[in-house]
Parts: sequence; C-alpha cells; structure tokens
Amino acid sequence: MITLKEGNWRVPKWNRKVFAVAGGLTNYKKFCPEMKLEEQVMVSFRQMLENNDLKLSPVEIKGLVNFLACGNFSDHFQDQLLCEAKVTDYLGLDPIYDIGIKTGGATGGSTVLTAAMAVASGYADVALAVGWERMSEVDTRAGNFYIANAACKDFETRLSRIYAAYYAPMAVRFAWAYNLSEQTRAKVAVKNHLYAYYSPYSQQPGKYTIQDVLDSPMSTYPLRFLECCAMTDGAACMLLCDEKTAYKLTDKPCELFIAGGSHTLRVADRRDMEIPLLPHETPEMYHGLRKKEVQRWPGFESFAAARFAAYFAYRMAGITNPLEELDLVELHDAFTISDIQTYGDIGLRPYGQEPDYIESGDAYFGGKCPANLSGGLIGTMHAVGATGIFQGIECLWQIQGKYDKFHGDPRIWKSFGKKKPEDWRSLQLPDARQALWVSHAGVGSHVTVGILRKAF
Amino acid sequence: MTPRRKITKYTGKPAKVLQSEPALVIEWPRSLAHRHTYGKLSPFFKGLTEGKLLATRCINPECSEHRLWLPPRADCPDCNQPMIWEELPQPVIGTVHTYARVEYAGAGIELTTPYFQIDVELPGVCTIFKGYLQYGTPEIGMKVQACFRTEDPTNTILDIYWIPAAG
Repeated sequence: MITLKEGNWRVPKWNRKVFAVAGGLTNYKKFCPEMKLEEQVMVSFRQMLENNDLKLSPVEIKGLVNFLACGNFSDHFQDQLLCEAKVTDYLGLDPIYDIGIKTGGATGGSTVLTAAMAVASGYADVALAVGWERMSEVDTRAGNFYIANAACKDFETRLSRIYAAYYAPMAVRFAWAYNLSEQTRAKVAVKNHLYAYYSPYSQQPGKYTIQDVLDSPMSTYPLRFLECCAMTDGAACMLLCDEKTAYKLTDKPCELFIAGGSHTLRVADRRDMEIPLLPHETPEMYHGLRKKEVQRWPGFESFAAARFAAYFAYRMAGITNPLEELDLVELHDAFTISDIQTYGDIGLRPYGQEPDYIESGDAYFGGKCPANLSGGLIGTMHAVGATGIFQGIECLWQIQGKYDKFHGDPRIWKSFGKKKPEDWRSLQLPDARQALWVSHAGVGSHVTVGILRKAF
Repeated sequence: MTPRRKITKYTGKPAKVLQSEPALVIEWPRSLAHRHTYGKLSPFFKGLTEGKLLATRCINPECSEHRLWLPPRADCPDCNQPMIWEELPQPVIGTVHTYARVEYAGAGIELTTPYFQIDVELPGVCTIFKGYLQYGTPEIGMKVQACFRTEDPTNTILDIYWIPAAG
C-alpha cells in the first residue's frame, strides 16, 4: 500500500497567473519525407505566430520569448540527440535556453507544464512549448519495438514488443470488473475517427460503424487496429505568457492550470491504494467498488497518475464538479480502453461507471461534455512529443471560438494536399468556457491534466 | 623533406537510396549490442535457469510491507532498505489476474504468434507477475503452474513460462 503524507498532498500553486494565447499544428501523417523534423516544427511555429490573430508581428513576438520547453519522446525515433538545439536554432531563437522534456506519451503535457512553470515562477514572461516526433524513421514493427522499450526491459518488453499488448490486459480486466462491452469500446473508436474526418490535420479520419471496428484486424486481443492510435510524423507549438503579455498579444487569452502524477511503469506492480477523492466525491461512493476478490485500486482498471494529476489540477483551478464545469475534454485515446479508463480517473463518472459516459451521450458533440472533438489520438495524431500540446491547442481554439477558422478553411486543407469534405461540419461548441486535456504515458506512468479557462 | 600526405579515402558503404522524389530518403543502418546488467537482480535470472523462482522480502520491522516482491527489487520502495531473497515453494501455482492474446508483435519477438501473455497472482506476493502461457486458453481466475527453461536457457525473463495447472 502506498501511503502519502500530508506534504505529498500539497496543491501546486503558481506564483503568478499563466495564460495560453496561441497554437500551431502540422499536417499529421504516417510518413513525411518531404520535411525534416525541424522543418515540420517550423510549419507549426509559423501557424502559431501568423494565424492566431496576435497583435504583434511574428518577429516582435519572437523578440519576447524567454524560454523553450521542447518535447520529444524518443531518441530512438529521432536518431538525433539534442534535437532541441537544432530546433531552437532552426526557429531562430538562439541563444534562448531550451530544456528537452521526455515523459513518454505524456511528453507534450509535461512540456506545457514545464513552460507554464517557467512563466509562473517568473523565469520567463513568454515561454514556447514545442513538441515533435518522427516515428517514420523506422518501419512500423521496429517502431512498435522502440515504443515497447517504454515497458520494463527486464520483465516486460520481451513478452510482446508492442505497446497494445500492455493495454490489452487492462481492457480484459476492466471488462471483467466493470462490465465494459466491446461495443462501447468500439463506439469510442467510431466517434474519434468521425471527428477526425472534420479535421484537416488528421491522419486516420473515417466514417466507420461499430461493426467495422469489431471486424478490423486484431492487434492484441481484445484491441483491434481501429481502436489503436497510429504512428505519426508531426509537431505542435503553444505560446504561454504572463497576464500582462497575454493581453498585449491577444484579445482572447485563456488561463492555464496544469499538474501531473506518476506511477510505477509495471502495471502489475500497482499495489492497492486508497482512492484520492476529487472535490465532488465522497468515500461512500466507493464502498463496495472492490467487491470482487483480489480487486485493487488502481490495479489494471485505473490510473493513479491520472487521478493524482486531476486531484491537483481541479484544486488549482477551483473546479468542484468536473462534469458540470467543463465544457469539453481532450483525452489520451491511444487505445479505446485508455480513454475509457480515464473517465473514472478524472471524475467524468465515478469509478466502475465509466462506460456510461459514452452510453449516455455526454461524450459526443451536443452532449454534456464532449470528448476529443479534435479526433484525438485514434483519429488525428500521436506524434508523441507533440500530442499533449496538440490536445491543449484544440481546447484553446474551442474556447477562443476558432474551431472553424482552423478546421474549416479550405486553404488549410489544400495546403496539406487534401480536399475539405463536401459534408464537412463544424464542431465548434457554442459557448465553451472551460476545457480539460489529459496527456498520458506508459500505461499510466506519467499523466498531466491541464485546464484552460476563458479569460476574455 | 616533408612526408607525402596520404590521400583520405572513403571506406564506408554508400547509403542506399529508398526514394528520390519528392525528397531524397536514404537508409541509415543501426546495428549494435548493449551491455546490460541484471545488477542485484542477477540471482533471480540465474535462479530461473536453475528452475527456481526467487522473490525479495523486506525484513525491516518498521516497514509496513512484508509481503514478497515479484518482479523482485533489491531495495524496498517503502522504506528504502535492502531486501532479502526467498525462493517460492514448488510447484509454483498462481491465478490468472488478466491476460491478452498477442497477434501482431513488434520487431524481434522471440515467441511464435499468436500467444497468450498472462498476469499472475501469487500467494503472499504483493505484486502481480507477467509471463506467457505456453498452451491452453487463459481466463481470469484460472490456476497456472510455473515452468522453467533450464535447458538452453535464454538468460532472459522468457526462462519462466506458465502452463494450466493440473486439476
């Protein structure tokens, strides 16, 4: 049993407010030979500087930057140590200090967290969170092996060499403990592939049926290929500022809160713990949760790192009831099951009732708190170091009312060599004020929960 | 008289061109071997090759966790004190906690696909232990017995595997 002491529960506190003002993405695709990684980063950097209605010129904004947090997951993929130095040079930001950030699939979230800490502490007034991944440097099976190096190399990696095989046991166990059907899992895939259909950035858009998902080839039972994210080449940039600079740069800043949690890499080592309660939860809610013999929390069913991150992020932001107070969420749907597991961790449903978030319709556009309108990782991208930044940017644009500007403009589609679908529809929420995103790594080894709040 | 400078010669192997349009893409081979130590866990991996399953236990009376650790750790994460080794009694019988059927594995896989990866609960062990089922179809709650690859050991975690327990 892991028992934490009072000091461990201290809620993080910014020394001053932090704001997100702008973001930039790339065309996410499996293989992008036409650009090198720093050239892809430049594409996202230009979009961030030039297309976010900022009130200063790109060169003037560059003249304000004090710090870069640079996310990239794997030196194996990039095959280039100190990519950060190449990127900072290529963006023309030398000799401003950059720090490379690596926390697996949560790298993007950790990168935003690091940039936010720089602003909150006063180290920087303007910090750039930038992330990238070049997964096409090797073929898919070699890529799967590289990613499986993020399982324990002594005790786990040789047992599958593909990451789906570390989530699949969680899917089996979750279904057994909390009555999750394959159809509900498939609905997550159908939803996110569909939302990706409306995004020019997306790698795996598609109009699928539940049956299509269930009929797609098996990766590791019970997870099918249409339930899994792809490997992606791509980058993302987000600009964070202190309050004064934020309003100088934009009329539509969003206040940022973000916190993280970690947990042992080996899921099987996750001993039973008391569940840290979110502000709207009571201990009575979880009496009887462990009704089945040898059930443990978080065990294979849930992610303590996500719960820990949410515990802090909600308290930092003063959120007392997430489902009522959040207008949208972007979750880490690397696999359908990890998406569903997270509903309990961040309190969209009590533990044990996660499937109801999908089945009730709450998770859909038009529902109470839609999830992954960006298309998520299953539909749009998982260029690992960029992912947690991409998710935050999609939240930012929703609150700023810029979904259509960044997804509906035919010129963006054309610039990526794509045609905007005839039946394109806007997924802009009418009045989004508060959004949350989850950046998640290594079967729950690292998780950040970020919250953006409208500040205009 | 100055010595004549030798001509610097190219001794490499020209990079293979994978595609030339729209961008030039070359092959960049990587092949190397790491030296990886099992460190203080060496007794565990040696034990597998001798047909033994060794776990660790914290004997610090002030520590709250006195169950076995498997995978073993040399030091207790709760009190940070060194632990001691303890062999599990034979036959080692466990219970399937969860499982997965691996159909599409990553590069370098050393098992024939498809196969079942299983996570096994063991009595007195505070953690769960991952392995593979050599034959049969697992289900949650199923009893399994540990087997060891003592002949032609792989010197890796694949030296332990599980089979359905008799009865």
